[in-house]
Amino acid sequence: MKTLADLKAIREKAQQEMKLRNSNVRVKVIVGMGTSGIAMGARDVMKAFLDEVATRSLTDVVVTQTGEKGFSSMEPVVDVIEEGKPGVTYGNMTADKARKVVVEHLVNGNPVKEFIISTEK
Amino acid sequence: MQDLSLHILDIIENSARASSQLIDITIGIDEIKNVISIEINDDGTGMDQQTLENAQNPFYTSKSERQKKVGLGIPLFKQNAEWCNGMFLMTSVINEGTSLKAEFQYDHIDRMPLGNVQDTMIGSILGHSDIDFNIRLYHIHKHNEMSEFVLDTRIIKSELGDIPITWPDVIQYLNETLNEGIKNIKLEEF
Repeated sequence: MKTLADLKAIREKAQQEMKLRNSNVRVKVIVGMGTSGIAMGARDVMKAFLDEVATRSLTDVVVTQTGEKGFSSMEPVVDVIEEGKPGVTYGNMTADKARKVVVEHLVNGNPVKEFIISTEK
Repeated sequence: MQDLSLHILDIIENSARASSQLIDITIGIDEIKNVISIEINDDGTGMDQQTLENAQNPFYTSKSERQKKVGLGIPLFKQNAEWCNGMFLMTSVINEGTSLKAEFQYDHIDRMPLGNVQDTMIGSILGHSDIDFNIRLYHIHKHNEMSEFVLDTRIIKSELGDIPITWPDVIQYLNETLNEGIKNIKLEEF
């Protein structure tokens, strides 16, 4: 059973890690969680991003969510906003595609062109 | 929506969009009363009577006309509850918040499965890390014994201090905590 003592251990470890590496948020992943997004599987996409961030210990990535954005026909929709680079919007996402975006875009820095539906100018 | 947990996620999104700071969620199965009950209370901006009525109408949305013309989240949830011999009640006070309660007949043939409550909660907690969630899940079994699971992000955040709740190890912790909790009270197979 998980307890609050486990959290204390996590906090102490995280404080050490924060000292060692730059813990500023480098990439923001925003999953569209409006009604149509949810109906099309946005929750699985969100979960895939969260699981990858957790298992790969991506301390400089934050996964968050927002409401409808007007891309209803291309849901689930995900924005990836990387510091100092134009934002990218991915459409028709699935959990598998999300995992690919984590490896290729978030970790290796190469946006996955075939999933992109719009790029910030 | 394929299951109740997705409806719950949709309702939580409404609460989050209404600038809530604390969202209270209670989900319970009562096998004796033959009811699945879902309650979501927020302390957001609230709605006046007219907006509250409109929110239950499928041809209304709070979003601007150009973006989107209909809002189906609440009307579909309401329809599903009423369809299953249940009830749906939404009340709201401006600047105080909105409360929603839905009940479903537990053994109704048309009742949707409860679905993946864990993923709904983890997504909401981490997708809105600036909002607090007080979650209570309960299950009253046939022989009247009750089991429950409670998770309050205010306690977790105060324990974490300056470490964000979105930190990778914390995501893992929340996942495991919710998973264990839901299994312990046998809420995963409904």
